[in-house]
Amino acid sequence: MPKFTLDGEEIEAPAGTTILQAALSRGKEIPHFCYHPGLSVVGNCRICLVEVEKAPKLVIACWSPVQDGMVVHTQTEKIKEAQNAVMEFLLINHPLDCPICDQAGECKLQDQAVEYGTGVSRYTEPKLALAKAVDIGKHVMLDQERCIQCSRCIRFCDEITGTGELAFFQRGERSQIGVFPGKRLDNPYSGNVVDICPVGALTLKEFRFKTRVWYLENTPSICAGCARGCNVMVATGTQQQLMTTRGQQDDRIKRIVPRVNPEVNGHWMCDEGRLSHQRLDAVGRLEQAASPAGTPVEWEAAVERAAGQIKTAAEAGRLGLVVSPRLTTETMFAWKRLLDALGGAKVGVHRIERGGDDALLILRDKGANSTGARWVFGEGAAADDVLGAAACGEIDTLVVLGDALDPEDSVQVTEEARSRLQHLVYVGSFEDAAAGQATLVLPAAAWAEEDGTLVNFDGRIQRLRRAHLPRGERRPGWRVAADLAADAGIEMPDWSSAADVLDSLAAGVGPYQGLNEEKIGMLGVPAAAAATGA
Amino acid sequence: MEKILTRNIHKENSPSIEVYEAGGGYQAYRKAIPSMGPDEVTEQVKKSGLRGRGGAGFPCGLKWSFMPKEKNKPHYLLVNADESEPGTFKDRLLMELDPHLVIEGSMLSAYAIRADVCYIYIRGEFVRPAEVMNRAIAEAYAKGYAGRNICGSDWSCELVVHRGAGAYICGEETALMTSLEGDRGYPRNKPPFPAQSGFFGCPTTINNVETLSCVSFIIERGADWFLTIGPDEKNSGPKLYCLSGHVKRPGVYEGPMGLPLMELIHELGGGMLREDRPLKAVIPGGSSVPVLRAEECEVNLDFDSLMKAGSALGSAGIMVMDSSTCMVNALHRIAYFYDHESCGQCTPCRQGTGWMRRILERIENGQGRTEDIDLLKNVADNIEGNTICALGDAAAWPVQSFVKKFRDEFQAHVDAGKCTVLSNA
Repeated sequence: MPKFTLDGEEIEAPAGTTILQAALSRGKEIPHFCYHPGLSVVGNCRICLVEVEKAPKLVIACWSPVQDGMVVHTQTEKIKEAQNAVMEFLLINHPLDCPICDQAGECKLQDQAVEYGTGVSRYTEPKLALAKAVDIGKHVMLDQERCIQCSRCIRFCDEITGTGELAFFQRGERSQIGVFPGKRLDNPYSGNVVDICPVGALTLKEFRFKTRVWYLENTPSICAGCARGCNVMVATGTQQQLMTTRGQQDDRIKRIVPRVNPEVNGHWMCDEGRLSHQRLDAVGRLEQAASPAGTPVEWEAAVERAAGQIKTAAEAGRLGLVVSPRLTTETMFAWKRLLDALGGAKVGVHRIERGGDDALLILRDKGANSTGARWVFGEGAAADDVLGAAACGEIDTLVVLGDALDPEDSVQVTEEARSRLQHLVYVGSFEDAAAGQATLVLPAAAWAEEDGTLVNFDGRIQRLRRAHLPRGERRPGWRVAADLAADAGIEMPDWSSAADVLDSLAAGVGPYQGLNEEKIGMLGVPAAAAATGA
Repeated sequence: MEKILTRNIHKENSPSIEVYEAGGGYQAYRKAIPSMGPDEVTEQVKKSGLRGRGGAGFPCGLKWSFMPKEKNKPHYLLVNADESEPGTFKDRLLMELDPHLVIEGSMLSAYAIRADVCYIYIRGEFVRPAEVMNRAIAEAYAKGYAGRNICGSDWSCELVVHRGAGAYICGEETALMTSLEGDRGYPRNKPPFPAQSGFFGCPTTINNVETLSCVSFIIERGADWFLTIGPDEKNSGPKLYCLSGHVKRPGVYEGPMGLPLMELIHELGGGMLREDRPLKAVIPGGSSVPVLRAEECEVNLDFDSLMKAGSALGSAGIMVMDSSTCMVNALHRIAYFYDHESCGQCTPCRQGTGWMRRILERIENGQGRTEDIDLLKNVADNIEGNTICALGDAAAWPVQSFVKKFRDEFQAHVDAGKCTVLSNA
């Protein structure tokens, strides 16, 4: 491994590592705009200039591999001057419209102008006037004036999606990014260009003008849109914004952005997952217990009634359970435990499948926890079998654990099955079709409202985290099971949080053995490691 | 001096292969292939001291020697015929009037670097040179000088003309490669150098038309003969000088490397255009090299002499300016060119060239301020050395040198709010 000196410190780095990568990996900041770890290196912004002893001129850190014996300086007067110069160049035609720009607060140009600029400009000529609010795709708007031509978005479309919608047009200071004639930036991953845009040139239609980013609270979580389990940051509004602008509670999800996990999603996520939070409000939400649907009852009364119905049916061997594959393993485990104690039920896991697997992230299996469901309920348990049994009159009470993310993805109870059921207990978050057919409704937490774990297609156990409090009477699915157990006189562990359920899971479900929240960590753990207790 | 590069251009029907061969053409080619090995050709060129005529003056044989000897991938020779530097018009003359000289030199060089294809990248505006070259290439193919098993050897090499689309930047060697690959003509960061990873990632050599045109003479007459022309072993061979501006007879002149600048202006060029307007300045190597004041013009036109004089031979585009020239106006025109031709890929050049052009525009229009002069120079300093390719430097050098050498004229412009040179002329 080459040994080199970085600002007086001797460092070893693997051959092929660039000066910038070596510096960043040691927590040393070298300013950069065009460099992105998930894309090819082009070296066009020129702000990462550093001084290498014996080199005739400054070199760009993003392009230059470290070499044995190299002596690199990043803090000299010469570099400071060069950084000031590049910063000044970047800003001469930039509109400096931070007060009305969505990127403000998370803008690399803004941050680095403060850090590496002089604070004044000697440019007194009129700035270039270019097109603003250009609609280039289903989700993306372009502001030509703010663009600093780093080409990250172009490289993303060329290298990651391979769709190549974007390119530079014109030359020199008149060069602009844009879509090719007749094309739109409509690939299934288009939102990523907004994330990687270091300035406010590319904005997401669904997020622009919604909030200032410093009012956001970010919660690291997992996308529940498909079995990939992309790592995400869920941003919600905060109390602070409430005081300044709205005067009312507003902790709704404002946006979802990918969180880097090289083992799962790299730097990216698909647009469907990015906008999945919109599904949470697609139909009315369940906030109160009801019996039947539409007729509110007290939570305790509803639980008492449900517990009675479930217990009776279970004892008679006429109970069925249909589970959404998007629920946490904790919820599945708690229900499995309850039903086993009651005498068992015919259990089926609903399958949600759409489209096909693509070459990047999107999977046909939309069940974010299909694997976890298999681990808890075993192979082969299908929702259709349970509904079939209901239609044949083999069961008379059916519990539906509805979808936590998308009301359209809850199991559809066929008219035939419904007509022969005595009780249909719906536990879920939405006033969806199944909820409408139910004789009894218990509201449960939606995707962003609870902690827990999901297991992706690859058997990776990852942590879902609560981004905001559950609405109304909603509570986590495992707690609903615990409430029912208490009412039915079943002994269950005294769980007070998802972490407690995880402890039980770790003792009861093989691949979870020995795990706790800390061990799963920010990036999750593969089942194999989990199984061996690593 | 005996005419070397221009020996055919005045002959009737000079572009035809018959005329070229009657004058001894393709003798070197037949001599070298297959009796000389590729490395032997490279060795001769190395010994001759031939340096690149495109601008940078890099030793040609040395460049070839960077090409791998083992072939794992196709090798390419790219002939840089994208002659676009303002004040430069020598390659056009060679291609239009002696295309087979270009072809013979190119193919010998292709042989030396074991090339599989030789592309001639011709500037888009050069319609006629491209036509002439294409006709000549067809003749060369018919004679077996290009294509399969050339001159009965086991070496095969295709020869193809590619026309550019009119961008100055595509004359920069890495931008030329990118353009030839079918992409937007953006220069690339170095390293890797083209010999390691060039055209489509394959070992590639890029040479200027005039450089390659020297090769057949070196092979035919020997490196030692080549060294007898010009002042020393680092500045050798015949050279084409493009003379333009305020002289009586502008044009392309052939002379030995190291021809005195004043001899070019006064003897070959017939002297200054008007007796009453003395010499004021000369840009000796195309618009991007630093300008020389009249008193600095007692200099020889070769790489090292001009380097010592603080300028460069560049592409040997000698632009002569007499006392009627407004230096602000001249620099503004140059700055306009680089602003127009900056590819826009990297920040300092993209933003800096436009900024310099605007400052100059203001000074020229009488709205300049004294601090603009230092600002202008500082913007140029901030571009220089910080860009991907040499276009940034090319834009900065004239600004730095004009401001340094003719500062009083810029100041006069600012003070008077108008041009004092043009109004007095």
